[in-house]
Amino acid sequence: MLRPAHFLLLLAAAAAIVVPLQAAVHPPKLEYQITTLPNGLRVILSEDHSTPIVHLAVWYHVGSRNERSGRTGFAHLFEHMMFKGSKNVQPESHTSIIASIGGRSNAYTQEDATVFWETLPAQYLPLALWLEADRMATLRVDRDALEKEVEVVKEERRLRVDNQPYGRLNEILFDKAFTTHPYKHPTIGSMKDLEAASIDDVRDFHNTFYVPENAVVTVVGDFDSAQAMQLVTQYFGRVPKAARPVPRDIPREPEQTQERRAVVQEEWPLPAVVVAYHIVYDGHPDSYPLHLVSKILFDGESSRMTRELVYDKRIAVAAFGSANLIEDPNLFYAVAIIPAGQSAQDVERALIAEFDRLKTAPVDGREVERAKNQFMRDYIIGRESNEQKALHLAHAAVIHNDVTRADAEIDIFDNLTPADIQRVARSYFTPNNRTVIYIQPMGRAGAR
Amino acid sequence: MKVSRVAGVGKWAASVYALLYVLAVAPAAAQVRDWPTEAPPRPLPAREAQFPPYEIRTLPNGMQVVAVLHHEQPAVSIRLLVRAGSAQDSKGKGGVANLTAALLDQGTTTRSAQEIADQIDFIGGDLGTGAGTDLSFANAVVMKDSFDLGMSLVADVVRNPAFTQEEIERQKDQVLSSLRVSVDDPSYIADVVFDRLIYGFHPYGLPGSGTEESLAALTRADLQEFHRQYYVPNNMLLAIVGDVTSDEAFAAAERVFGAWPRVALPPSSSTEPPPSARRIVVVNKPDAVQTSIRVGQLAIPRKHDDYMAWDLAVKILGGEGANRLHQVLRSQYGLTYGAEADTEARKDAGDFVAKTDTRTDTTGQALRLTIDEFAHLARERVGERELADAQAYLAGSFPLTIETPDQIATQVLNVLFFELPVSEIGTFRERVSAVTPDDVQRVARRYIRPDRLSIVLVGNARAFASQLIELGLGGYEVISLDELDLMSPTLKKERRRP
Repeated sequence: MLRPAHFLLLLAAAAAIVVPLQAAVHPPKLEYQITTLPNGLRVILSEDHSTPIVHLAVWYHVGSRNERSGRTGFAHLFEHMMFKGSKNVQPESHTSIIASIGGRSNAYTQEDATVFWETLPAQYLPLALWLEADRMATLRVDRDALEKEVEVVKEERRLRVDNQPYGRLNEILFDKAFTTHPYKHPTIGSMKDLEAASIDDVRDFHNTFYVPENAVVTVVGDFDSAQAMQLVTQYFGRVPKAARPVPRDIPREPEQTQERRAVVQEEWPLPAVVVAYHIVYDGHPDSYPLHLVSKILFDGESSRMTRELVYDKRIAVAAFGSANLIEDPNLFYAVAIIPAGQSAQDVERALIAEFDRLKTAPVDGREVERAKNQFMRDYIIGRESNEQKALHLAHAAVIHNDVTRADAEIDIFDNLTPADIQRVARSYFTPNNRTVIYIQPMGRAGAR
Repeated sequence: MKVSRVAGVGKWAASVYALLYVLAVAPAAAQVRDWPTEAPPRPLPAREAQFPPYEIRTLPNGMQVVAVLHHEQPAVSIRLLVRAGSAQDSKGKGGVANLTAALLDQGTTTRSAQEIADQIDFIGGDLGTGAGTDLSFANAVVMKDSFDLGMSLVADVVRNPAFTQEEIERQKDQVLSSLRVSVDDPSYIADVVFDRLIYGFHPYGLPGSGTEESLAALTRADLQEFHRQYYVPNNMLLAIVGDVTSDEAFAAAERVFGAWPRVALPPSSSTEPPPSARRIVVVNKPDAVQTSIRVGQLAIPRKHDDYMAWDLAVKILGGEGANRLHQVLRSQYGLTYGAEADTEARKDAGDFVAKTDTRTDTTGQALRLTIDEFAHLARERVGERELADAQAYLAGSFPLTIETPDQIATQVLNVLFFELPVSEIGTFRERVSAVTPDDVQRVARRYIRPDRLSIVLVGNARAFASQLIELGLGGYEVISLDELDLMSPTLKKERRRP
């Protein structure tokens, strides 16, 4: 909530232009129940009867963060293999079964988790639960299918990464900024590692990570919770408990002790400069002020980086970035795309100057309020659909291991002050903790 | 509109069971040994899905206003559409609609660009303006306590843009930079060249952002003229969507737009797109590791009696819930990450296009399989089952399309924008279910002419040239990225001899 002192400050700052003077609107809290089955599976149910549809999301707590070198990209390749059929489901038919009743389904893999989802007319909830339980318990593993799918994933990599201007930006950044933690490599993996995947890898991965205690089933939509719980128990309750605990031995990234710099050449139309700092994990007390910093620097045309580099100085055609807050400590990064005739050194200086400004002078109260209002907007418009609600609930349960975090963050943000922002800026935006990368177009400077 | 049952339910059993193995016959790594062999569970009783309430009114100045009320989240979305886009760019003024829209929120007669950004960002809102081929837009999302400010901002940017020289230069630089980046994006190049083949010099065939030359020539007066002609209330649609009452919504629309007078619109001057003819263009990008493929033809505009049957035919070829192309190119051959076909039905004309990307050495194979699927659809009657599945998906997914307030508003705006009968809103399922295999065959024969397809390939031409010749597609044109000129009849920059 806005406190009175803040409120006056805000009034004074806002006198010149008309702005609403109420405290920010707050959204309704999510209502849900969470249960753990005897086999370790966690189940979150949240009823919403506004439309007769239901969204089911099955989160597995495994992603590219769990991959070892030599098998990069495997978590994502495995996600594709989950569509190759199970004991009662024909290969490649999962999607068409869901489509044939008017539903949609898909899956995605991230650093920390892999998510399978269905959105469908509410009466088909039993079908979706049955399909997901079938492939959790009994995946079909077939060599030809694996070989074909490796080719499909290689096409996906070409499409999204290799054949796209700036497609390799993330890959370059994380490779240069990390030495040890698996965040060093991209989720899509390398072509060589994809080709190395074997049938045994597929079987092991399923046995190790696709087990009830490593999964969270979230259902949001038009259903009766007692009936849904009975259905979930019927289909998922019979999946046996894992024989061994899920491994959690992820190598830690050692602290960075001096600035890292790199110059890379790519087939890109315009050069880019990236400045990045190691930060904390999502949910660490410092993660909240860092999230506000990303709003202050990058969100909207009045944000500092956009106004300074793109609008006023016109030394960048775009300046974007983010606090990449995920399960293990990751990066706060800023990227500027540089127009013809501008110097990368000037852009680097301007990017770093904005980080330094946060350390030397406290952000004014009005700017903090703006960032909080933007956070609240994301929060509110990010919870319109069942799918979005399920995402927030499951993310809290899987990544924070605490479903109540799905709503608790509002109060934390409300209470942040300019001093919190200055403190985290001083802690993390230091030269020794920095990575600077210049990406230059390959041999055709000024060609077009 | 009452609907007696959800279409597709009756077909449920047949479609689902046919896709299952009754017994596990393939080698399975069944980790759970005593897992039962069983059929999928039956559905629960269905609850009726009704199109949610909305209200349409027309202001005395001709502006159509739609209110969709939705009170779950305390936010309101404001969407204003102008019935003019790059299709209204006059000759030699390519990019004027796009640049005009980009300048809307970059300063008005009473607010500077920075003040607009400060105001919208401070309230935690979002404001965006832009243009497409047939329309331009100004959209805002605000929290409910900022609704009045949101309306005032949207009205100010569409009514009173300042078009200062300084901001025009800034936006031109932005457009030029994004054009330079787009040139390296194979799918962008494939799309613009494909549109140019289909529509020729019809406005739909020309790039909406303009070209470097046309942008350089645009003046402040051009933008003011475009704005004066087309940004008038009788040429606009406004949707107010979210946590407001209907009285609040219409009162706000009246407050910010009511006093704006109606203005006569310029007569529309539309040219006909050229008839379909076989043309194959290869845009050479030697550094490409994949080839972007586009195959298609001129078809029908959105407002057309054949639209529903035609849309189903194209969905069978490559849409959600069916998709022969995906089945063949990805599932059967592993040639691509994705393949799809879309009806691009616009206001004056429409086309359909199949899109896929494949590695360089399978370019010919993927193209051959794609063309074969076009011929297959034109030649053979679609099976009852396949059509039923496509219909079941489309009709069955109706409740998924009315979940959020913006989805609801989009459906109403679409009907108003394309001037379709208002009775179409909420009767989607009935119209889908009415299509028969004969309808699909009739439209497929009528609009698919396999010998007159337009084909665009963007990739490493030298590496796949021999594949094209083997396919009997030897009559292709190769254009290097550097010499590509969409404004030239040959698509190549004119070479001036000294």
